[in-house]
Amino acid sequence: MTLLHLPFIRRQLATTRSQSLIFLLCVALSMVTLVALRGFGDSVDRALTRDARALIGADVVVQSNFTFDPAVDAAVAAIAARGDAETVRTWEFYSVVRRSGEDSSLLSNLKVVEAGWPLYGSAGLSAVLAPGRIIVEQALLDRLGVQVGDALRVGDANLTIGGLLTFEPDRPTTFFALGPRVLVDAADLAALNLVNPGSRVTYRWLLKAADPDSVDALAAEIRAVAARDFVRVDTFRTARTGVERFFTNFLFFLSLVGIFTLMLAGIGIQSSLTAFLRERHGTIAIARTLGASSRFVMANFYLVVLLLGTIGALLGIVLGLMLQWTLPTLLSGFLPPDIELLISTRAVVESALLGLVVVLLFTFLPLYRLEGLRPSYIFRKEEPPIVNRLPFALTLALILGLFTALVIWQLGNVRTALWFAGGALLLLLIAALLTEAALWLLRRWAVRWLPMRQALRGLFRPRNGTRAIVVTLSTALGVLFCIFVIEQNLRASFVQSYPPNAPNVFFLDIQPDQRADFADALGMEAEYIPAVRAALLAVNGEEPRRNPEADERGSNDGTDESEGDAGRRALQYTLTYRDTLAESETLVQGSSLFGLAQELHAVSVLQETADARGIAVGDLLTFNIQGVSLDATVTSIRKQDTESVQPFFGFVFAPAALSAAPQTIFTGVRVAPEQIAPLQNRMVAQFPNVTVIDVTATLAQFASVVQRITQVVRFFSAFSILAGLLIVVSSVYATRLARVQEAAYYKVLGATSRWVTAVFALENVLLGLFSAVLALLMAQVAAWALMTWLFDLEYRFLPFASLAMIATTIAAVTLVGMVASVGILRSRPINFLRLQTENE
Amino acid sequence: MSETTVSYSVDGTMSAILSAKQVTKSYVIGDRQMAVLDSVTFDIYSGEFVVIMGSSGSGKSTLLSVLSGLDQPSQGRIYIDGVDVTDWSEDRLAPIRNSTFGFVFQSFHLVPSLNALENVAFPAELRGDKESRQRAQSLLERVGLGGRTTNFPHQLSGGEKQRVAICRALINRPKIIFADEPTGNLDSKNGAAIIDLLIQLHCERQTTLVLVTHAPEVAEHAERVVTLADGKIVKDERKGK
Repeated sequence: MTLLHLPFIRRQLATTRSQSLIFLLCVALSMVTLVALRGFGDSVDRALTRDARALIGADVVVQSNFTFDPAVDAAVAAIAARGDAETVRTWEFYSVVRRSGEDSSLLSNLKVVEAGWPLYGSAGLSAVLAPGRIIVEQALLDRLGVQVGDALRVGDANLTIGGLLTFEPDRPTTFFALGPRVLVDAADLAALNLVNPGSRVTYRWLLKAADPDSVDALAAEIRAVAARDFVRVDTFRTARTGVERFFTNFLFFLSLVGIFTLMLAGIGIQSSLTAFLRERHGTIAIARTLGASSRFVMANFYLVVLLLGTIGALLGIVLGLMLQWTLPTLLSGFLPPDIELLISTRAVVESALLGLVVVLLFTFLPLYRLEGLRPSYIFRKEEPPIVNRLPFALTLALILGLFTALVIWQLGNVRTALWFAGGALLLLLIAALLTEAALWLLRRWAVRWLPMRQALRGLFRPRNGTRAIVVTLSTALGVLFCIFVIEQNLRASFVQSYPPNAPNVFFLDIQPDQRADFADALGMEAEYIPAVRAALLAVNGEEPRRNPEADERGSNDGTDESEGDAGRRALQYTLTYRDTLAESETLVQGSSLFGLAQELHAVSVLQETADARGIAVGDLLTFNIQGVSLDATVTSIRKQDTESVQPFFGFVFAPAALSAAPQTIFTGVRVAPEQIAPLQNRMVAQFPNVTVIDVTATLAQFASVVQRITQVVRFFSAFSILAGLLIVVSSVYATRLARVQEAAYYKVLGATSRWVTAVFALENVLLGLFSAVLALLMAQVAAWALMTWLFDLEYRFLPFASLAMIATTIAAVTLVGMVASVGILRSRPINFLRLQTENE
Repeated sequence: MSETTVSYSVDGTMSAILSAKQVTKSYVIGDRQMAVLDSVTFDIYSGEFVVIMGSSGSGKSTLLSVLSGLDQPSQGRIYIDGVDVTDWSEDRLAPIRNSTFGFVFQSFHLVPSLNALENVAFPAELRGDKESRQRAQSLLERVGLGGRTTNFPHQLSGGEKQRVAICRALINRPKIIFADEPTGNLDSKNGAAIIDLLIQLHCERQTTLVLVTHAPEVAEHAERVVTLADGKIVKDERKGK
């Protein structure tokens, strides 16, 4: 007997079109996001590698937050003199610029560049940068109400707006910045009078090597003379740009969402295939009765599944590539300019293999069940008994293994991957348990209203797939809701609920000799806090402990730009000095801030900093403050209320230790919103070097960036919901006969079409309602836990948003369920009754 | 839609509650047109017990479907109490199916998700009858199923299922009960019991009973036997009670 029978296979594909289509769509869905993300990730990687020089603006970048040591300047000058490289210097800092002669000002992100910038790529400038002229972003014109040709006061200089800046090769346009960019010619730097000792300026030397092979040698030459702790020397190959870090993290997160979608689509694959095969039971029974072996049945259906799977996978790849092309629009502003999207062969091959594995795994069980199918069971309309549970257990183990392997592959970190996989499985398990509990209760709910009672009964009709639908939908929605609730909570905590009495305007970079005049000009009571920039060199004579993950993310204790390149750069902190605890602080260890002795070199450490760096009371810390070494003994450990808007300082010294160190002073005041601009104008007119930050405006801008990012996350999470909705459609088709039967009986017994429609609609409403309520429950609990334990912030329940989420889910599930049921609702009862009679 | 009212009388005492006039029903199968009913004209009078007989494929079940409004004739008219209902929509026919007619099928057609009591009460609940449960309970007790009210269809035997179906057909006190091969899926003992029950209820309630069967022993109990062959009425025999 031939094992494969092509007409048989063709007929199986030609009939049962709806279920085939759903199966195919589930396969496509399982792959679409991963194909898009992997392809897009590859394109971004390629662009970043291709444009690495343009993105950092040089072959070699020498960077410091302090004035360069003369030895570094000399080394760079020597290289330039030899003709080994072109060199350009830049200075980057924030300052408030003003309309000349008028009372309007704006915090701006200044970049002072020497002629020759940019060394690589090109900047979008509408006019040439020249001495006396600045080039600005459109946002500055809009916000200050000025035009090209107008004069602006920048520091102590009056400069004319020469043109517009549309993009810089080394900075994406919408990355979070406190103010719009202003490009200044280096010839005007001195006139600005803004770069003083202790000012927050990033100094850079950019080098373009004459010989591309000499890049590493040039970097090594400079590194040899640079003070290791304060100067960072990178080549275009070693530098990790902000864009790269952003995309690594963001694509990583989206990939997790993609894996999640894949798993849910897997449930859809299994569910729709089961329904597809059940519709084929009659054919199988007849084939078996006529002598077909179970191997024949299995082989032919495996081929059917493989063909459908292949079409689905191809569809997934095509849709994934199409989706990849929409990503630049979704992420516009975050991307490097001129990103070239490519069809990544690697991404396509990897995704196709992945699709194959997923199809094989999730289709195994429904196909395996065919083996035990005897014609007698089908003719008697009985479910075949499950004889052997081993294949089920093995498949489950394989699916779990695949899932974990996928996560490890995506994350490249076994520990984190196991946490994620465990978390996702726990989520599924919790969803399954909650679903079970909800269904148990529903079964016992004695409803008097007839349509509702029939709708409830419908949920429990055999093969209805209620469990699969509720688990899938509630898990997918749970994740989506959770992201939304957290986003809203963070927005509420940081933006809407900014403490009413907390300062909303901060003044930075006040020079010590300006303090008295500044206080007079301000005319308000304010706390003046000194800030000293320093590097932590040693703890008890040894290198401080590094925490790569925390350093990568950045922390909240005054650490400066930790770049995660442990061993190359010192841990930089902003220190302060005072002799009392702040209101928002409490002591965790030690009897007072600096002990009884009030030692000259006593330091109090923030608990988070102490934990991160392995510091305890009594330890001896070694700092470097602009070249001067300072030893201090830890006398206490403090903790600070995280909702406080007081600045966080990792290290607080006794005044005697730091009062003479190079420092700047900052302060904050609370003023009515309409007073902010006049105050800023007044203070900046008198103290041009002082930077003014309007916190509420900054937070609103931060919130809008967060919102854009969460929109992208939501867009991708929506794909997992599609999986749930496909299972709803699959379930309607799987129970088509039962539904047709119910509709026919209701109509024969005198029910109108409207009544039958109401029952079916109510069933879908219940399905949507329970999925949404379970999802919301899980999302709220998770959001509460994260807000309370991780962010340490107040948690808000968001009742209206929650109701809106439930209503939207109900509407979507009902719509999908009813559209799939249209044919059933329209059919006349006689058709079913006749069919039944013919089958008797 | 035009509604034509006609009146018929036999001996001046009985009026036709259901009439078929020149009814033809044909199906298209592939490229062939098959006539199942061929110009059937036929009246049913109130309180009658009519058996429609014929061999397999003679069109008897189709005639029942057309008479009961479950199916529409290809040609001809159907009148209920003199009202032409031929072109009525499903929804317009719904109250008639609910209260004027009762159905008993060969395959029982009980709603699988409802227990015996709920199945019986269902048509009464649909019309908003507050006493539906009590009436369903008493009907089930009447047919000897008082102890099986909470059983679901799959927990009942064929005979029990058919008794539940009969109770369901009776709950709204219909004028006519249509029974399509009610003993077709039962053994002879259960089949006989079901026929006895239908006849008893017909006598007790003066309900018109239209029963389709191919079993001559069932026809013996009828007052009138209509015989179909090839879609035509070949004999319409009335017997004394």
